[in-house]
Amino acid sequence: MNEALAGKVYPAVRFPVSPDRVAAFARAVGDTGGSVPPTFATAPEIEAMRAVIEDPELQLDFSRVIHADQSYAWSRPIALGEVLTATPSIESIRSKAGSELLVVATEILDEAGSPVVSARCTLVVRPRGAGA
Amino acid sequence: MIALEPGTELEPRERVVVREDVKAYADASGDQNPLHQDDAFARSVGFPGVIAHGMFTMGHLASAVGEWLPGAELRSMKAQFRSAVLLGDTIVAGGRVREVDPDAGTVSLDLWVTVDRDGTLEHPIKRAEVLASIARGDGGATDAGS
Repeated sequence: MNEALAGKVYPAVRFPVSPDRVAAFARAVGDTGGSVPPTFATAPEIEAMRAVIEDPELQLDFSRVIHADQSYAWSRPIALGEVLTATPSIESIRSKAGSELLVVATEILDEAGSPVVSARCTLVVRPRGAGA
Repeated sequence: MIALEPGTELEPRERVVVREDVKAYADASGDQNPLHQDDAFARSVGFPGVIAHGMFTMGHLASAVGEWLPGAELRSMKAQFRSAVLLGDTIVAGGRVREVDPDAGTVSLDLWVTVDRDGTLEHPIKRAEVLASIARGDGGATDAGS
């Protein structure tokens, strides 16, 4: 990966919290609580991270990527029907034991610009030829 | 409502992972990585077949928190993914209460997700931490710290 991209901020992505999408997500993770599952934050995060993963300057070989760590910090629960914006940035790129680590932080705000949830995703790019 | 005291063990929550679940998660989350849908691709990168998304497993764990602490709101959650979840695996979400802060209205949990694979205990999530607010929101959790 191109380590010079550490600190790069990508465009904000608009993400409507549609009831159908939330219902499908809740079924998939077995959440019967009736409100928006907290980890629904993953959906806007993934949508926003597409620009990072596909950034030609980053030179990320996504076929070798596995998800190593994930964290969320919620300011409040996500509300059904609201429109979120998700802005990803590259927090760090480093090497560890032959693998490369990419940390992407995504700030997810509501329409008023108030924080809803901060996400941090660590991806590991495994060395070529490595097994599981 | 469970008794909320440090050390309280949380009742394990099991789920058998099948291909339809992983596909449903891919569609709902938007993560269409072929590693989670295409066996040939998964084998080409060193796995025995498709694996579940780490976030599928974390989502199952978050849903378990919702059952352990009805009405609680998550403040933070972090997890480390340490082994792959294969189709047919039974993932088991478990954990214990680490700390209860009645003044702040919060409870912190130490959590994990295990898979018993032919007698060997794997840890798809070796360690996860959750901080949840129990003083707000609906449900009967507001007096849980007493």
